[in-house]
Amino acid sequence: MAKTEEKTVPPVTLVDPIELSELDRDFREEIHSMPNGEELGACFACSTCTAACPIANSWDYKPHQLVRMILLGMRKEVLASDEIWLCLTCFECQERCPQNVRVTDILFDCKNLAAEEGRIPPNVAELGKELVEQGQLYVITADWEREDLGLEPSLPGLQTEEVRNMLKKSRTGRMLGEDD
Amino acid sequence: MPEYNLYAGCSVPANYPNYEASMLRVADSFDMELKYMEGVACCGSPNLRAIDYEGWLKVNARTLAIADKNGNDIVTPCNGCFGSLKDVYYHLRHNEDYVEMVNAELASEGLEFTGDAKPRHFVEALYTDIGIDRIKENITNPLDGVGIAIHYGCHLLRPKDVTEFRPEILKDLVAVTGAEVIEYPLWKQCCGATVLPVDEPLAIRLARDKLKSMKDAGAQFATVVCPACGNQLDLQQLDLKNTYGEEYNIPILHYPQILGLAMGLSEDEIGLYLNRVPAEPILEHVSK
Ligand code: SF4
Ligand code: SF4
Repeated sequence: MAKTEEKTVPPVTLVDPIELSELDRDFREEIHSMPNGEELGACFACSTCTAACPIANSWDYKPHQLVRMILLGMRKEVLASDEIWLCLTCFECQERCPQNVRVTDILFDCKNLAAEEGRIPPNVAELGKELVEQGQLYVITADWEREDLGLEPSLPGLQTEEVRNMLKKSRTGRMLGEDD
Repeated sequence: MPEYNLYAGCSVPANYPNYEASMLRVADSFDMELKYMEGVACCGSPNLRAIDYEGWLKVNARTLAIADKNGNDIVTPCNGCFGSLKDVYYHLRHNEDYVEMVNAELASEGLEFTGDAKPRHFVEALYTDIGIDRIKENITNPLDGVGIAIHYGCHLLRPKDVTEFRPEILKDLVAVTGAEVIEYPLWKQCCGATVLPVDEPLAIRLARDKLKSMKDAGAQFATVVCPACGNQLDLQQLDLKNTYGEEYNIPILHYPQILGLAMGLSEDEIGLYLNRVPAEPILEHVSK
């Protein structure tokens, strides 16, 4: 029986090879120390999170891959990915993870890091702007509807100044250039 | 007479006064005193958490601290507010450093987060503090077994250790009105509201999946306990007509509207005329 011929082409791989020199070894630690990042290292790549995710089928990077990418130090790819912003924050992945990795919370952490680098989808930035400028996302416009139902025309107790001040001093304000 | 801090959020007062009014009327019948919180603004929803964890923590800690002053629990009709407040409450209870950080910030306003007042969803307070038995006594015009699907909403159910919400609560609350709770495969799935600002077609697709699953299971109506979910399932039915050429005609009712009807409130009192997908057909199912 003839031996299989020596391969001369690179092996077929499912993912692009990783450039080791571009990995950021500190990324893992960075996420690990962020809110709810403690269990990150417990991930054993079972992909249950991906099985639970209602939109992973349309993602280039699946949730379990994103976790793996964090562990490997693929900071650039993770923070530049559309996936972190497409995440519905539905917590399905997090609920099912057998290792208690707080997947959704970790994706929130990634979004914060991306935001710090100025990477925010325009509409999300717009929402941040609204919060800084008016202290709320939705403002009452149809007060007659409220009155018809026997409600006060404006919201009792609403006071937006403190929240606006807090956000101006925080990243939201800094990012949007509102920290004057 | 239980007293609560009412945190209405921004979406309910601005977009769904019918939800607000029906909630207040129902609460009133049970002597639940919902007092609008003084000096509060928006929770920031998951969007603020996404871009600014610290800002989100502070804004919501401030709301919690305002409630701590009188010690009354916070109730909210909005899953977004509930999720934010519960999540921040959880984070603060699990991390002393955060408590120090937010309290340093809040001191200038004479506020302090102590964790005495708990954030709760209105339906949970209704279920736990009033109870199914007392609610049953108030059902004068039961719904005639008409099929209603429940959309719980992600931030009511998950993360379980944070929200501590059991799905049976809402099931029992719907069943006590006389309606039949329709089980459907995608009951736990997201309605897509959170992704609306980032990817509208995806959001619409998710609303479609949800509505289709309800319809196929035989639901005639659906109920929600969140303005964002309500918006997504109610208003998007119009978009679905345009994008997919599909008509679902599932009226989406805020839970207190359903309970209110069964307690004898009129359609005007619960603001049925403000529902986007005409919800008047539900009136045919109210026994007199
Ligand atoms: S479910 Fe948990 S352990 Fe499994 S791949 Fe996802 S994060 Fe890792
Ligand atoms: S929280 Fe995000 S990643 Fe997790 S299941 Fe939901 S959409 Fe997928």
